Amino acid sequence: MADLRLALLLLLAGLLAAPASGAGPAAAPEDPAPIVVSRQLLRSQGLAVGDVVSLSSDPSGREARRFRIVGAYEPTPDPARLGDAWLEARLHLPDLISLTADPADPQAGEAVQAINVRLVDPGDAEAFARELAARLPGLAVRSTAAPPAGRVDPFVVLERFHLAIAVVTVVASSVFLLALMVMLVDERRETVATLRLIGLRRRRILLQVALEGLVIAVAGAAFGVVLAAALQAGFNRFFQWRYDTALVFVHVTPAIAGRSVLLAVPLGLVASLVSSWGLVRRRGLSVARR
Amino acid sequence: MSAAIVEARGVTKAFPMPAGPVVAVRDLSLAVPAGDYVAVCGPSGCGKSTLLHLLGCVETPTAGTLLLEGRDVSELPDAERSAIRLAKVGFVFQRFFLLPMLTAWENVELPAAEAGVSRGERRRRTGELLDYVGLAHRAHHRPSQLSGGEAQRVAVARALANRPRLLLADEPTGELDQATGRQIVALFDRVHGDGTTVVVVTHDPAIASHTPRTLFMRDGRIESEERAG
Amino acid sequence: MRVWAFALRSLVRQPGRASLGVLGIAGVGALLFDMLMLSRGLVVSLQEVLDSAGFDVRVMATDVPFGGPPVTGARAAAAAIAALPEVAEVVPVAFGRARAAGPDGRVLHAGFMGVETGARRPWTLLAGDDLAAPRPGPPSLVVNRNLAEALGVSPGGAATLRADCSRGASALPPARFRVAGIVDFPFDEAAGLSAAARLEDFRHACGLDELDEAQLLLVASREGHGPAAAVRAIREARKDLHAFTNEELVARFQEVGFSYFRQISTVLSTVTLVFAFLLITVLLTVSVNQRFAEIAALRALGFSRKRVVQDVLCQSALLVGAGGALSLPLGLALSTWLDAILRAMPEIPASFRFFVFEPRALGLHLALLAVTAVLAALYPMRLVAGLPIAATLRDEAVT
Repeated sequence: MADLRLALLLLLAGLLAAPASGAGPAAAPEDPAPIVVSRQLLRSQGLAVGDVVSLSSDPSGREARRFRIVGAYEPTPDPARLGDAWLEARLHLPDLISLTADPADPQAGEAVQAINVRLVDPGDAEAFARELAARLPGLAVRSTAAPPAGRVDPFVVLERFHLAIAVVTVVASSVFLLALMVMLVDERRETVATLRLIGLRRRRILLQVALEGLVIAVAGAAFGVVLAAALQAGFNRFFQWRYDTALVFVHVTPAIAGRSVLLAVPLGLVASLVSSWGLVRRRGLSVARR
Repeated sequence: MSAAIVEARGVTKAFPMPAGPVVAVRDLSLAVPAGDYVAVCGPSGCGKSTLLHLLGCVETPTAGTLLLEGRDVSELPDAERSAIRLAKVGFVFQRFFLLPMLTAWENVELPAAEAGVSRGERRRRTGELLDYVGLAHRAHHRPSQLSGGEAQRVAVARALANRPRLLLADEPTGELDQATGRQIVALFDRVHGDGTTVVVVTHDPAIASHTPRTLFMRDGRIESEERAG
Repeated sequence: MRVWAFALRSLVRQPGRASLGVLGIAGVGALLFDMLMLSRGLVVSLQEVLDSAGFDVRVMATDVPFGGPPVTGARAAAAAIAALPEVAEVVPVAFGRARAAGPDGRVLHAGFMGVETGARRPWTLLAGDDLAAPRPGPPSLVVNRNLAEALGVSPGGAATLRADCSRGASALPPARFRVAGIVDFPFDEAAGLSAAARLEDFRHACGLDELDEAQLLLVASREGHGPAAAVRAIREARKDLHAFTNEELVARFQEVGFSYFRQISTVLSTVTLVFAFLLITVLLTVSVNQRFAEIAALRALGFSRKRVVQDVLCQSALLVGAGGALSLPLGLALSTWLDAILRAMPEIPASFRFFVFEPRALGLHLALLAVTAVLAALYPMRLVAGLPIAATLRDEAVT
């Protein structure tokens, strides 16, 4: 028997809820009630499925009750809780209520923090929420897709932050790209001079430059996408190990890959044209002169 | 005859190549007395430039001994050979190799600055040299603004910056027209006349027939030697 | 011409290339600087806020810094801790919520705090008076500026709050208060509404007169002993409680709450350094490749190997130095923008800054750029050091 002083994070087991009608725990008194615990809790306390543990809502461990661990689960990855210890257990609702309810509060046995509703058609969520709120004033009803009114979703903020970083990175990369193209163009100064002297028109040379730039940009963008896709597994594995979570940190979707290519290709093309323009514009032998 | 300023004794220079070593200079012995004015001629690939590089301590011999002012420089480390070149040897190249981002003045001043000569002395010497080559009026022009002949004259002035005892020139008129080439030859004459030992590698018959001593090389050896007068 | 002047002339010979190199370094350098500021920004910010009230130790029922269960028997716990020679003052604090009606009838939801008054307060008085000892009339209340504006009250005015401090449902009668003063609570969100009363008045408003609980005991260590000694003494005297110095709390947050920002700071710092390294290496290598003949000529003239290698290193230092110098004002400007984005996060106190300038960050930034300059120059330096003079001159003559 493992004695466990846990006073934290007892989650409602909505999925395992029995009717909360003031009835006692789901199991017979002499048989510890079943609970499931998070994988992390199992590991951190050296527990195993089948162990009997004591849970109490009091920090001193007062009025602890015995429960049997009937299973372990992987907590739903939650980016908002990155770094948290994920030490949690899930009980039958009556067990949780009887463990945590204030005996002086007559309504304690009937009170929950939230009721999760799964709709037949998730598309009805907004309409359902509105109707239910109208029928049950005093309750806050909202679709899980929408953040609470007046609250900014932290992940929207993070997305804006990531976008800002991406903008800076793209600008710096463009400068790098332009520097490279300027150097490439410089190396081909004499070649371009020779072509002009032979009689090739500026338009023809510019077209060649544009095509080369396009090929390089496409190849570079494709390579970048492949590299990102190859690295994402490594990133995810590392951070999943670091934070002991199943959360996916990096996910290169077709949309993201497409956006990257759509951004990179025109940038590469423009960089090659801009860097070559001065060279192509000049007359005759002055092209070859540095 | 005065003492040799540079002397090669049985010098061989071989370059390792994937297909086997290429011997550019074979068992060559040569003494260049101080004050001499030598042209080295021969077909392409006969080892003329390699000989020049050996004499100027740019290369070390694979075998044999090289003496500069009586000092064995055959196996000196790179740093010492650089110091010798800076102080005692001046180089003039076929393609001038002036630094394009520096003016004519700055190009001429460069070796003296590297040798740690004081600013005042450098200034004086640079002005003197640009006068010497007739380009004082072009001191603040960059190489791209100079003609081929002017650029080569600046290169000669640069080679003389640290008053070398030995001036080595590798095809100095190779990129120049005849008239300009003659100007350069005249300049070398003047340099030689002022006491500097000059060794010129050349295809130019005008130079070859001009110098008091001409060496003809073939296959890495000195095939023959002619002395004027 | 001396080494640096020569290197500078070599660089400005290709002004477009050099400018782009400097701009590229400036851009990534700005991002690097910001990431270094971000890596400790929240930590420094939190430390400043925690220290601002004058309390250097916090005592809780569990080791959960915020939101954990309350300390029961708070009076006795506070008395026991206050009796320790290492402790100067103990202030129990309870947290709850309250509702008030604005002048336009809308319901205002505010944070409500109950504090045992002592010499120190966990807020800064801006106008009016602080909470005073009990006196005839309605109990005193201090409110933050937002709540004062929303209620349309000023010091001396009246405010009615309906408290909600228990976990269960409740329907308490409203409590009338006299607004003593307007204060600034360090942990307030930018648009947050907050109020505080004496602990006794708070409990009364919450209908919890008999409940001897506090979410938190704020402790000020006695001068000469320090917070570490106070924590040791508290842990010894009350093993059932969890005491932390401000530094320990900050370290906990850094490990858990701020972890994302540390990680992204590390990742982006690495990416920017690699980027800067590549940019400089490529720039210098191409430049060196284009100047082989020139370098060989300089070597033939008598420039030592060390000298020409030095030239490459100096060019790298100049590029990175110029870019690095430009990156500082750019980075500060960029950090203002990024900070504004991140401060829109919910539940972030208005006084927090994500990007905090520290000399340490500046020093690290400069050191990292310096190392990058050296590393980036290594390959081109190697090329230049190993350049065969005669062969290069020969190749140049042939071509």
